[in-house]
Amino acid sequence: MAAGPAADEVITAVIVDDHAAIAAGVRYWCSQATPPIELIDAGDRLADVWTGPGAAADVVIFDLELVPRRPDFGELRRLVDSGRRVIVYSQHTDNETAIKCVDLGALAYLTKREGPEHLVPAVRAAARGEAYTAPSLSGAFIADDSPSRPNLSQRETEVLRAWFVASSKELVAAKLNITVKTVDTYIARVRVKYANVGRPAPTKSDLVSRALDDGLVTLAELNP
Amino acid sequence: MTEPAAAVEPARTQLRRGLRIATLLVAVAIVLGLGPANILRHLDDHDSSPAQLAALAALGAVLAGEAVLLVRGRTWGRLRLPAVAVVLAASALSYATLPEGRTSTTVDWIFGAANWVGLVVLLDRPLRSVGAFLAAHELVALLNLLLFDEPTRQALARFATGSVTVIGFPLCVAVGAAILRGLSAAAAASQREAERVRVAEAVAVESHRRRRQGFAELSATTVPLLEGLAGGSLRPEDPLVQRRCAIEAARMRRLFAEADTVANPLLHELRHCADVADRKGVEVELDARGQWPELPVAVRRDLTEPVLTVLATAASRARVTVVGDAELVSVSVVGDCGEVDVPSPATPGVRIETLNHEDTVWMEVTWQPARQPTR
Repeated sequence: MAAGPAADEVITAVIVDDHAAIAAGVRYWCSQATPPIELIDAGDRLADVWTGPGAAADVVIFDLELVPRRPDFGELRRLVDSGRRVIVYSQHTDNETAIKCVDLGALAYLTKREGPEHLVPAVRAAARGEAYTAPSLSGAFIADDSPSRPNLSQRETEVLRAWFVASSKELVAAKLNITVKTVDTYIARVRVKYANVGRPAPTKSDLVSRALDDGLVTLAELNP
Repeated sequence: MTEPAAAVEPARTQLRRGLRIATLLVAVAIVLGLGPANILRHLDDHDSSPAQLAALAALGAVLAGEAVLLVRGRTWGRLRLPAVAVVLAASALSYATLPEGRTSTTVDWIFGAANWVGLVVLLDRPLRSVGAFLAAHELVALLNLLLFDEPTRQALARFATGSVTVIGFPLCVAVGAAILRGLSAAAAASQREAERVRVAEAVAVESHRRRRQGFAELSATTVPLLEGLAGGSLRPEDPLVQRRCAIEAARMRRLFAEADTVANPLLHELRHCADVADRKGVEVELDARGQWPELPVAVRRDLTEPVLTVLATAASRARVTVVGDAELVSVSVVGDCGEVDVPSPATPGVRIETLNHEDTVWMEVTWQPARQPTR
């Protein structure tokens, strides 16, 4: 997969979702964003993500449940393994599903209760190959008690928790007496730690190596 | 609700058992007392004495079976039909070897014996089973009379008279048993009904007590508000009065929700608070993570009070979140409502933190059960 679009290029995203209203809503949000995001609607046809204009889109917005009650983790894995940058957009709010999608290599996991204020930044981040952590995913991280969960520092947990609760980085920064940028850093560190555990995936290793290059985390912190 | 059944059940089984013992004793006396006596007395009249003795043994075996089942406190179950077949076969065998013209005389001992054995086997069955058996028994004797004998008027009259006792007495016992069964079932049903009424009464008393308590709790805040509105000292168009009304409405909703039996009372009550705000057009997000133990009502009230206040006063949107584990439960609310006053928590272990940021307020209420003194 080529590197993401240059700063002045228009980001393209393809959405796979069987609900026409969701696709229409997302299309509206993308067109209202500044700069606008070009959206390709694949409907419920997964093939359109792999061929035609959908195949060239920078980001895939993926409805996990095209078949009700049958989350399609297999398709998510295939997309990630072929280097696609995937945002899972799901009606599931349970922690396990969210963590599993992150483990498979999705760059963002959003619930359908999360609107343009999270979806648009998530698309932009994914287009750059970066992760986006919405409050719901943050909630899943703080409630994660699986044995494979990475070790988070107290401050990281604190920030995650505040982000989940307040859903506003300005509020989190005000509450914890830090800058918004520092809030982002803590959240990014958590994502890198999660990318470093579990199943290997191109998107995850990209996240880790970039974080190491940027000095966001050290090797010692990743392998305590 | 299991108590009445337990109280009635021993009485029912005792009654049934007594009747079984009595019937068995009657049958034993007739079959094993009168039977051998009649066989021995008319030993020479019988065509085949061994066949008669075999029939007697078969009836004896069935009675022995009943005795064993009675001691072990069991019923015939699947063996019932074979047992009935044995009885009918025994009487057929006896009739086959009965000398001519002796139907329903003292030589025909089985006519008045097999009926009792059949009754013993079928006593706990519906009346029609006993009726069918007695009819079959009667038919065997009648067929013998009609097919193998030359039925004289006298023989037929004797048969008819004999039938009255042969059918009548066991049938009387069977009817008695059926009536007893009906009575004990009715007794059990009425006892259950009485218990149900007692439970309903207890529930009503308890909910009345709860309602009075709930009213007492509302009287401190809701009643003055209503009185003020009724007396004209508070004006409904005053935004402050409207805010108080919204808070009281949410408190009442919470109070009603407290009585509900649900898996997670805290979330249930929060949903009700959110609903009040939702109706005002405030967009409310409610999200919860983690597991926490059941909290006492007083703690839940302290945890929900800031949420209720912020939601009732929020202008357009609010976010309510719960994060909990076994040691700490934290309820947060973020809303665009400016500064609000929240009564300080009533229970120890509950803390409120407030952050005002521009027009947004963020309140976090945490509860730690049995907080250890730190450091």
